[in-house]
Amino acid sequence: MMRSRFLPRAALCLFALAFAGQAHATDDAEPVALTVLLDWFVNPDHAPLIVAEQQGWFEQAGLEVTFVEPADPSLPPKLVAAGRADLAITYQPQLHVQADAGLPLVRIATLVATPLNALVVLADGPIRTIADLDGKRVGYSVGGFEDALLGTMLESHGLTLDAVELINVNFSLSPSLLSGQVDAVIGAFRNFELNQMDIEGRPGRAFFPEEEGVPAYDELIVVAHRDRLAEGPDAAALNAFTGVLERAAAFIVNRPEQAWKVFAASDADGLDNELNRRAWRDTVPRFALRPAALDGARYERFAGFMRARGLIDAPPALDTYARQLPGPPR
Amino acid sequence: MITGSSSGPNVRAPGLRIEAVSLALAGRAVLDGLSLDIVAQRWHALLGRSGTGKSSLLRVLAGLQALDGGRTVADDGEPLPGRIAWMAQDDGLLPWLSARDNVMLGARLRGEPRAAARGRADTLLDRVGLGERGGALPATLSGGQRQRVALARTLFEDRAVVLMDEPFSRLDAITRHELQALAHRLLARRTVLLVTHDPLEALRLADRVSVLADGAVHDTVRIDGAAPRDTRTATVLAHVDALWAALQRT
Amino acid sequence: MTVLPRALPALLVLLGAWQLIVVVASVPPWILPAPVQVVQALLEHRRTLAVDAAVTGGEIVAGLLLGTTLGIASAVLLCVVRSARRWALPLMVISQAVPVFALAPVLTLWFGYGPGAKVAMATLIIYFPVVAASVDGLRYADPGMLDLARTLGAGPRAELWHLRLPAALPSIGSGIRVAASVAPIGAVVGEWTGSSRGLGHAMLQANARLDTDLMFAALACLCAIAVALYVAVDRALDRALYWQADRLHLSSSPELLLR
Repeated sequence: MMRSRFLPRAALCLFALAFAGQAHATDDAEPVALTVLLDWFVNPDHAPLIVAEQQGWFEQAGLEVTFVEPADPSLPPKLVAAGRADLAITYQPQLHVQADAGLPLVRIATLVATPLNALVVLADGPIRTIADLDGKRVGYSVGGFEDALLGTMLESHGLTLDAVELINVNFSLSPSLLSGQVDAVIGAFRNFELNQMDIEGRPGRAFFPEEEGVPAYDELIVVAHRDRLAEGPDAAALNAFTGVLERAAAFIVNRPEQAWKVFAASDADGLDNELNRRAWRDTVPRFALRPAALDGARYERFAGFMRARGLIDAPPALDTYARQLPGPPR
Repeated sequence: MITGSSSGPNVRAPGLRIEAVSLALAGRAVLDGLSLDIVAQRWHALLGRSGTGKSSLLRVLAGLQALDGGRTVADDGEPLPGRIAWMAQDDGLLPWLSARDNVMLGARLRGEPRAAARGRADTLLDRVGLGERGGALPATLSGGQRQRVALARTLFEDRAVVLMDEPFSRLDAITRHELQALAHRLLARRTVLLVTHDPLEALRLADRVSVLADGAVHDTVRIDGAAPRDTRTATVLAHVDALWAALQRT
Repeated sequence: MTVLPRALPALLVLLGAWQLIVVVASVPPWILPAPVQVVQALLEHRRTLAVDAAVTGGEIVAGLLLGTTLGIASAVLLCVVRSARRWALPLMVISQAVPVFALAPVLTLWFGYGPGAKVAMATLIIYFPVVAASVDGLRYADPGMLDLARTLGAGPRAELWHLRLPAALPSIGSGIRVAASVAPIGAVVGEWTGSSRGLGHAMLQANARLDTDLMFAALACLCAIAVALYVAVDRALDRALYWQADRLHLSSSPELLLR
């Protein structure tokens, strides 16, 4: 008699508890879908994103992330600004131009916290210092600000931009340098093109913009549409996103070999090659270990630099285009 | 080079002997042992249904088509090539050349001096009644005028033998009538072989009319009197009946 | 000259619709600038755009001339050397099938970043339409005309020069018209692959700088060049094909219609 009265009540309690747990789970049972437009085809620069996805950390954080590779790096920010995608990987200098043009974009995280851009010449070539570029041909891929970088670097050596002939080589940076069509290239990524040339047996020598008068900046950042940052599930998703990025960056720094295997395994055909392996080694020290953190003064400094070079008119308030998100709760 | 006037060749026009010629095109026997004598300096008409090989025979004589068997010779023993002029159903005028330039087309193609040729062409255009239209483009000429230019071109070549493949069939009745008379007058004393589907035309212009069928000659009729004949005479009408009957038998 | 007055109202309507869309739909300027802004950019950058237009225009015209000459010469060669047709025609079809985009980087590596690669690309894009049209025109000459020529004692060279080529001109003309309309594509693709001047380069640069009105201004210049080229080619062909019935304004003649 007592047993039969106890059991139904116990069962009811368990049942209720189960349901309660279930109710809690339904809050994050619906993963938030995020489309992330990369700046280029998948490469070691995107390691934190790829590793995080492979390890299932986005899923755990309640996010369903899709990566899209564009062929035109200038398109992803515009698509996010137009509401066609959620997040875009872009470059900090581009962000300043976009802000100036009125695109409603906000930087929410940093992927690569150092410049990657470099002025590259052939190591065995006649160019030993930047001053040797007088009267030479410099190839660039259209980023929109390469000539500002180059101009500053030349000026720190007594030359002006008129001293060189600028030729748009449209991403054929290494080939044009190796074939001798140009004497130097700007816009080459120091972790990439240098390794590419090394593998070809014609190593390059790099001059780094941040050592030649250009203020330091973040090469790769994550931007979102400004409206998504208002309170609500969108903002929460973005916070979760930055949290996952931090987790991935730490993992890569702590276990670089293991992380490489995870990265390479994500696309067996494409990614596991000598170039990517070398680029990986050179990129690991550059990932932002605190992706959400924003060095406001540094951003303002770079905005001032771009204004001085005439690339933007008047930089808008930093808060409108770069924010430090609070991160995930817990 | 023959430079006779349009009233007749300098050299005597020969007759033609067509001896047992055979020709098969696309597996079909177009000419089947055909033999025919064409009398010198006379008009000879070939009548027949379409597809009876009339045009093929003309093309063989013109040197445009090789025979499978038999031969064609001139009765004066000289070779035929180079002595034949060709006038087709289509006036063949080149649309980008003026009437004058079309008349002297042969000279142009053979690379002969143009100045002398131009004078002759103008004279001939005059003779066919188009003296004023030497500079006109073919597109601005009527059908009858275009065939006149073609006739002038034929005369320009001044060849002894003239082959005509239904040259007036595309013209209206009145123009056809005028052009028949004009052609007969200007081609006097040449050997002319005229292919036609119109018995009246044949009887009006030719001295002999052959009916072709199944790749051979079925009948040849001789008509008296000077051409161009009045087609309303009893003789002609009798011939017409005979020809119609012959045609219907084929 | 009659083209412009007729095109003007249509053009104005288009511009008006464009302005309306931008205003009504509140399209941000970095996606689609209003025509007014484009005109402003045109005027502001008119000097550099003029130089760029001259560069690209030169590449287009050079490509058109080279491609047309090579195309017609190839067609004549194919006509004369009968045996060449078997292997040459498939090669030409392949040349058309390969997208110019794919060849652009290779051509740029060979010819460098000067106008050479752009002219080469424009030539390549033009070559096949011209060859195909010319071969068609030369091959399908009226057999009656050829028969007549033979009886008149014309040799093969006279036949080609005096008959086949003039008879093929209308066909060649349509090939050239197609060529004139695609030549700009080759030149611009070439500039996108590597250049230091030109309208294609200007568009790329403006796009990267989010200078969308300048990009559209450069595009407008390119369109103007393309249209001007087409009209010029059309006029020239009209002159060359003086004997065609509609040029003689005889289309009202019923006899001609029946022909």
